[in-house]
Amino acid sequence: MTDQDPDTAHSRKPNPGTPFPSKPVSDIESTPHPAASETAFGSLKEMHAYMRLAREWDLRFEKMFRTGALSKWYSSVGNEATTVASACAIEAGDSLLTLHRDSGAILRHYLDINALLPGILPQVPAIREPMGGDSKQRFLRLTCQMLGREHGFSSGHERSYHYNLFEEEWGLFHIGMISHLGSMIPVAAGTAFAYQQQGSDRVAINFIGEGATSTGDFHEALNIASVWKLPFILVIENNRWAFSTPTSQQYACDHLADRALGYGIPGVQVDGTDAEAVLSVMQTAVARARAGDGPTLVEAMLGRHRGHSEGDDSLQQVPEQELQQYVEQDPLDLVEKRLIDGGVFSRAWIDEVRERCASLVTNTVDQAMSMPEPDVHQPRSIYAD
Amino acid sequence: MQTDTSTESDDTLYIDAISAALADEMRADPSVVLMGQDIAGHGGAFKITRGFLEEFGDQRVRNTPIAESGTIGIAIGSSMLGIKPVVEMQFADFISCGFNQIVNVAAKMYWRTKHPVPLVIRLPGGGGMGAGAFHSQNIENWFLHTPGLKVVSPAYSGDAYRLLRAAIRDPNPVLYFEHKFLYRRERSPLQTAPVPDRILGESSILRSGTDITTVSWGWMTHRTLEAAEILSQEGIEVEVIDLPVLSPLDHRGIIASVEKTQRAAIIHEATCTGGFGAEIAARICDEAIWSLDAPVRRITYPDSPPPFHKGLEASRIPSPERICSELRQLLDV
Repeated sequence: MTDQDPDTAHSRKPNPGTPFPSKPVSDIESTPHPAASETAFGSLKEMHAYMRLAREWDLRFEKMFRTGALSKWYSSVGNEATTVASACAIEAGDSLLTLHRDSGAILRHYLDINALLPGILPQVPAIREPMGGDSKQRFLRLTCQMLGREHGFSSGHERSYHYNLFEEEWGLFHIGMISHLGSMIPVAAGTAFAYQQQGSDRVAINFIGEGATSTGDFHEALNIASVWKLPFILVIENNRWAFSTPTSQQYACDHLADRALGYGIPGVQVDGTDAEAVLSVMQTAVARARAGDGPTLVEAMLGRHRGHSEGDDSLQQVPEQELQQYVEQDPLDLVEKRLIDGGVFSRAWIDEVRERCASLVTNTVDQAMSMPEPDVHQPRSIYAD
Repeated sequence: MQTDTSTESDDTLYIDAISAALADEMRADPSVVLMGQDIAGHGGAFKITRGFLEEFGDQRVRNTPIAESGTIGIAIGSSMLGIKPVVEMQFADFISCGFNQIVNVAAKMYWRTKHPVPLVIRLPGGGGMGAGAFHSQNIENWFLHTPGLKVVSPAYSGDAYRLLRAAIRDPNPVLYFEHKFLYRRERSPLQTAPVPDRILGESSILRSGTDITTVSWGWMTHRTLEAAEILSQEGIEVEVIDLPVLSPLDHRGIIASVEKTQRAAIIHEATCTGGFGAEIAARICDEAIWSLDAPVRRITYPDSPPPFHKGLEASRIPSPERICSELRQLLDV
């Protein structure tokens, strides 16, 4: 033990982890992104719509938590560039395994946003085809899932993102998390193994936090996936704080992406607040996996915007200056700035997209709240028939 | 393959029954994939998969790194997308390294999501060979306490064959405990009845009796039958019930038998406290306590790890002599 005051020994020091790769959005020069072209702006427009929907989704549930209408919430605010861009890099037929900060990936993978908000996007998707099937129904069921309603994917038995959704006819294979972080890494690699066994070119992506890289399952699964060359992309959403633990107390290497070297696979660190940068990295990783060349480890650098869960006080561990830095690097602000600076969108249209997304979420939540709660007398089987 | 089940041989070794069940199910269903440490070229620590690599190829017979949790997790994920994985633990004891994947991911998946996990984990377990604390344990109870798993414990070659094939066909995660002591000692005919497509609770009366009911599984069923034979010569008739399937538990047969004999003992090789014997005793007390003329007895391993020295180990495993002695006490003779 040291002589340091235990209250200040760790808690209020700036997180000495990896330097943040981007500047505050306000300091970024008002010129188009170097990669900007009509196509690139198409990608940006598409990602922007889903990122905004994800943001409004979280803001709505955060508010419900604060008013006591919801017993638990984990916010995805700040992760939207990484999650939406990653889900833009996969297709129907691929498998998606998510954490509790991945509403952006879920919404992008599940929905055709034009079906929910007609005219919000150009007719032709710039990056990927939307998932087939009934987006409105899926969005309503997703909302019911968050609210524990009977119509949710787990009929009220499982919390928020702890569910699966398979719609084989549309190639939708989404497996949710359990609370034991890192446990789904081998399961995700297992879906990739199924694809390899079946001779398909499908791939699996899995999101984890930087905290889960300390688990045994991270090593075991990534090692087997590398030895077997599984079509698997593991995305670390490194938001620098695991509950209240900073990266300096989580790992001693400079970059988690460097661990890939130890598995004999590519490892890439990317600014996770930059949707275009993430998209580029993920498209390369997915193409590599589809070609049969094995896994990629992606480390997306983010910042913690919220507590571990809403209502805990873990955010108080993040020094104010550091938190301020993350807020100034809001991924949505960056996308919107690029679209405005590029002359693609007006501020008025940006505002309209936000209003329409917020209304959609509010209306769907209202609808879900009026739907039946689970029948408490209904037994639920532990065995498949 | 060394075993050809197409001809009805009289007797099959327990270990060969397991090999045959794996091979026959792999031939019948191309989605069956084996994973385990040293199972491919080497044929596994007990040679159960010897020759499989040649017949089924390295895509379906997968050597894994030493990573029980990773392997079981991969098996779970693949089972959700059409693969039927059978994972071999080199020794049952090593399953502790994969515990979380089994009890939290596999066992709860169907209840949580309604998505089946058709997974089999084979667990060579049990003592009697002086193999020490980490190659001899009987750990079925770790999993009997977890809803959502099926647990199988065959004592005979026929059950080993039938239940392994049924386990592979079952849409649920099945833990298949095979007893190493029986591998090359138990020899009996394979059954010719059609293989069921799932594991159901089953109990079977191997010997009828009127004086006391015993409940056992795995190796202990053989020792209980030896004890029953000795006691029969003394005029004591033991009704011996074997449980080839521990979960789901078919306790109705046990209750019916106890109502007839009015006495009961549970014999298991696993340690005593919190063991499955306690559960069976509780069921008997719940449903048949007014029929009982004596306390329900558990005849088990002491609450300690398996020692290395063969004599030390033998002193801990319930022997036919000890079973006889304890049953005589219950009968007050």
